[in-house]
Amino acid sequence: MTGAATQATATNDVEREVRAWLAANWDADKRCEKGTDKLDAKGWLTRVRDAGYAVPTWSPEWFGRDFSSAEARLVDKAFREVRAPGTGQDRSNLGAVTVYKQGSDELKAAHLPGMLLGMRGCLLYSEPSAGSDLAGVRTRAERNGDEFVVNGQKIWTSSAREADYGMLLARTDWDVPKHSGLTFFILPMRQPGVEIRPLNQITGESEFNEVFLTDARVPAANIVGREHGGWQVLQTALAYERLIMGEGASQRGGTKVSRVPEVIAVARKTGRIGDPAMRQRIAQQLAWRQLNELNMRRAKEEIRAQGSSSLMSLGKLAMSRIQHGEARLRSEMLGAEGLLDDAAHPEARDANFDSAKAYMNSIGGGTDQIQRNIISERILGLPREQEADRTIPFRDVKSG
Amino acid sequence: MSAISPEDRAAMRESFARLLASDHTEARMRATTASPAGFDRSLWGKVGEMGLLAVLVAEENGGLGAGMREMGELFEEAGKALYTAPLLESAVIATSLLALSADAEARARLLSAMAAGETIAIPALTGDSGTWDAAGVAVEAAGDLLSGHAAYVNHAASADVLLVAAREGAGVALYEVAPATDGVTLTPQPANDPSLRLSRINFEGAAARRIEGADAAVIRAALDRGRVAQAGEQAGGSRHVLDMTVAYMLGRYQFGRPIGSYQALKHMAADLLVEVESALSAARHAAAAMDDGSADAVQLVSLAGFACADAYVEVTAQAIQMHGGIAYTTEYPLHLYWRRARSLAQMLGSSGAFCEQYLGEWEKAA
Repeated sequence: MTGAATQATATNDVEREVRAWLAANWDADKRCEKGTDKLDAKGWLTRVRDAGYAVPTWSPEWFGRDFSSAEARLVDKAFREVRAPGTGQDRSNLGAVTVYKQGSDELKAAHLPGMLLGMRGCLLYSEPSAGSDLAGVRTRAERNGDEFVVNGQKIWTSSAREADYGMLLARTDWDVPKHSGLTFFILPMRQPGVEIRPLNQITGESEFNEVFLTDARVPAANIVGREHGGWQVLQTALAYERLIMGEGASQRGGTKVSRVPEVIAVARKTGRIGDPAMRQRIAQQLAWRQLNELNMRRAKEEIRAQGSSSLMSLGKLAMSRIQHGEARLRSEMLGAEGLLDDAAHPEARDANFDSAKAYMNSIGGGTDQIQRNIISERILGLPREQEADRTIPFRDVKSG
Repeated sequence: MSAISPEDRAAMRESFARLLASDHTEARMRATTASPAGFDRSLWGKVGEMGLLAVLVAEENGGLGAGMREMGELFEEAGKALYTAPLLESAVIATSLLALSADAEARARLLSAMAAGETIAIPALTGDSGTWDAAGVAVEAAGDLLSGHAAYVNHAASADVLLVAAREGAGVALYEVAPATDGVTLTPQPANDPSLRLSRINFEGAAARRIEGADAAVIRAALDRGRVAQAGEQAGGSRHVLDMTVAYMLGRYQFGRPIGSYQALKHMAADLLVEVESALSAARHAAAAMDDGSADAVQLVSLAGFACADAYVEVTAQAIQMHGGIAYTTEYPLHLYWRRARSLAQMLGSSGAFCEQYLGEWEKAA
C-alpha cells in the first residue's frame, strides 16, 4: 500500500469516528445535546473538550488528539455539517493557543480547562503612547510577594466588558532596553482595579474601549513564558492573531462573490454608469479588488506548495486603496445626496460610514506606513529603520 | 488540458532563461536591437530548436499542443531579459490565427515550419488606428487580389508570410501574402522603442491566398492570446525592473548611507511590489482561464489587458525616478524597459479600452 493510500484510510477513519461521535451526542435538529431540549453551552463544550475535538491538533496530555491539520479540517467539516459548536479552538481561541504554546505546565493546568469552555479574553497590548511602537508600553507591573500590582492605561481593547481575562503586556524592568523588560500576563478582568470606558469612533460605533488599570492584581503564576520574556510571547500571540484574522478575511471574502459590487449599484442608481470618465474609475476600483483576490489565491497556492508566501503581507496594504477608493468614489457619485444621513438614504449612509471605516484597515493592526516598512525590509531586503531607543535603558527613552 | 506537465513547463522556462542569460546579454541585446532586422536570427533558431515557438501548435502539426499557461511563463522570462524578436507576432498571434482557422491545408503547410523557426509569419491586421477594429480594416479583397493598406505592422520586413486582414463584402477575412509579391510595398514607421520594427504596408492588387474559416471572431481570439502573452511579458519585466531598482538602492550611498535606507524610497518600493505581484497574478490567472475556457475568461483577459500594461508603465517610470541621474542616461538599460513598457501599453489596445471592456463584463455578470 502506498503512503498516500495509508493516509487516505486514516483520514477516512477520522471522519467516520467524528461523525459517529456527533451522531451519538448531538441533536442536529434541535441544535443541542442529544436527549435535551436546550443548548447548555458549557456542558456541550465540556463534552467536546473531553472527547479531544476542541483542540484536535494538540497533544493528548492537553485535551488534544495529535491530529494533523488535514485531520483537524475533517473534524471541522463534520461539526459544520451538523452546525455543532466547539471545535477548531486550536486555531480560533487566541488566549488558549498562547497559553498552550508558551505557558508552563502549571499555567496550562490552571487555565486551559476553563479557557476551552467559553471563557472570553481581550487584548491589553496598545497604549496611548505605544501604538505602532508596541515595545514602548509604559504600563507598570511590580512584584509584591507572589503577585504583581499593575498600573497604567490600555487602549483599542475590543470586548473588554465581556472579557473574563486580559492578555496583558506590561513593563517589569525599566533598567534594560525596551524589548527586554516586558512580561506577558493573563490578567483577571473582573476585579476592582480594572475600569473600562468605551471609545467613540468616527464611524459612530463603539467597539473599542480604554482600560484603566489602577493597582490591579495578577498572580505571578499567571505569567506566560518567562518574566521579562514578554516580547517573545507577544510575537507568537500576534502571529496567531494575524492567522485568525486572515482566515476570517478569506471566509468573509468567499460569501459575497455573486453580489453586485456596491460601486456598480450606486453608479446605476445615480445614472453615472453611463459617464465614460466615471466608468474608467469604477473599473479601476473593481480591478484593485479583484487583483487583491487573485494575489490571495496565489498566496494560498504558494502556501500549499512551499509552506509560506510573501504575498500574504501585501493584502492589508492593498486593501487600503480598495476601501478608501471605493468609499470616496461612491460618495462622489452620490453628489449632494452624499450629504444626507438617514434611513431614507441608505447609499449615502453606507458611503459615509465606509469612508470612515476604511481607516480601520489603513491604521488598525499597523498603519499603511508601518506595513510599507515591513514589506520593504522583510520582503525586499532593504535596510531597517533606525531606532534611537533600541539599545538604551527604557527609563531613558523619550516619550510624548 | 495541456499536453505539458508542470515539471516540463518549469524545465522549459528554465532552459529559456539560461539561453537568454548566455545569448542575450545586455551587449548582444543592444547590438541586435540596432541591427536592421532588430533581432538575432541565430538566437531565434535556438529558440525554435528548444520548442518554444511550437508551444501553441497542435501535436498533429508538429507542435507541443500546450497553452497560454506555458506561453505566459515564457513571456515572463522574455520580459525580464527584454527579448522581443517576432515572438509575439509569429509564435503567438500568427500561430493562433492559423490554429483557430478552419484551414487544415494552411496549418499543415505553415505551422510546422513556424514552430521550427524556419518561417516567420507576421499578422497585418490593423488600419490607421493601429488597434484592432473590424471596421478599421483598410485592405479590400477582390477575388484573390488585395488592395489598400495596413499600418503599425511589427517585424513586417522579416516576414516570410504576411497574414493580412481584408474586407470581404460585409465581413472580414484573413489572407496569406508573400511579402515579395508584386504590389506589396513596405514603408518603415520609425518608432520610439528601439525594439520595434514597424511598417506601413501598401497592397496594390497583390496576389493572396484566402485562409479558410478565419473571420473577425478568430482574429479577436488570436489577439486575446497575444494580449495574455504580453501580460506575461509585462509582469516579468516589472519584476525584473523592481529587482534592479532594489539592488541599486542597496549599493548606492548618499549622505553616508544606502539610498534604500530612506523611507521615502522604501515606501515607493513597497507600493511597486504590490503592482508587480498584482500584474503577475492577473497575467497567470488570465492565461489559466483562457486555457480552461472558464466563464470569467473574457473578464480576466481584459483585467490583464490594462492592469499589466499600467503596472509595467508605472514600475518602469517610478524606477527611473528612484534611480536618479544614472537612469536618465542611455547607457543605463532602464530606459529600454521603460520604452518597451510604454509601447506594449499601446500595441494591442489601450488601457482605457480594456478598462471599458472589463466593466462591461462586470455589468453582464451583475
